[in-house]
Amino acid sequence: MKKWFTDNLSLKLVALGLAIITWIYVNRELMR
Amino acid sequence: MSFFWIWDFIKPALEIGILWVVFYHILVFFEGTRAFQVFRGISYLLIMFLGAQILGLDIISWLLTKFFAISIIALLIIFQPELRQGLARLGQQHPFNIALEESEIVAIVEELSAAAYKLARQRVGCLIAIERETRLQTYIESGLDVDAKISAELIQSIFLVPSPLHDGGIILRGNRVVAASCLFPLSDNPNFSKITGTRHRAAIGITEHTDAVVVMVSEQSGEVSVAADGRFIPVVNQERLAAVLKDLLVSDAKKKKKK
Repeated sequence: MKKWFTDNLSLKLVALGLAIITWIYVNRELMR
Repeated sequence: MSFFWIWDFIKPALEIGILWVVFYHILVFFEGTRAFQVFRGISYLLIMFLGAQILGLDIISWLLTKFFAISIIALLIIFQPELRQGLARLGQQHPFNIALEESEIVAIVEELSAAAYKLARQRVGCLIAIERETRLQTYIESGLDVDAKISAELIQSIFLVPSPLHDGGIILRGNRVVAASCLFPLSDNPNFSKITGTRHRAAIGITEHTDAVVVMVSEQSGEVSVAADGRFIPVVNQERLAAVLKDLLVSDAKKKKKK
């Protein structure tokens, strides 16, 4: 389980960052 | 009431989770390719765009919006090889070694490993691509038809230097050597191109474009390597080479049998 989290960690963090940014942006657009 | 209250918290988390998985798989698919650097550039622009929106920088937002609109066409051109590769992978439904039993695959792997290590001991370079689901017809057509049963002796005689077929790679389909002297595409992965030779780049190149497995012997070092999915898998001896190939090819055959 630990290996799953630590494998390719930087890529996972970048993907998470992009996911949060996208969600915030789309949410803002939908709220308008 | 409390369910809806909890759902209000779970919903964004679920949506972000789904987006996370999708983005992660896209990044993994493009990792190590030229497209990955382009993706990184786009990510910076996206962050800039969001920052401009939040801070109300209308001019910057307008410029970036126009830029993204134009860049759709640019992206189609830049990602053309990756898109082609991705679509080709979607359409891969052509099992070739389905007819081979596990014992036959093991026999082929033994012959291949023996040939690779015999060539390595003589410091003779070789490049062997094993076809899996993606057809290697384009590369077969770039070489000369052989269509002979795989044997260590045949592979050795093809790659020994006076042989007119020694240049380029050979392609194996099922239990046959279908073609020799084939030209493989060179990898343009920046991590490989500067430090490795042409044979290494060709080995990685064909595994980036297709799902083939490549066995390669370096002429300079006499090292034997296996390449698959755009990466080298380290092998230290003949037994390890046979084990790696068996792992890659037998699992394929099992998957196809399940279908």
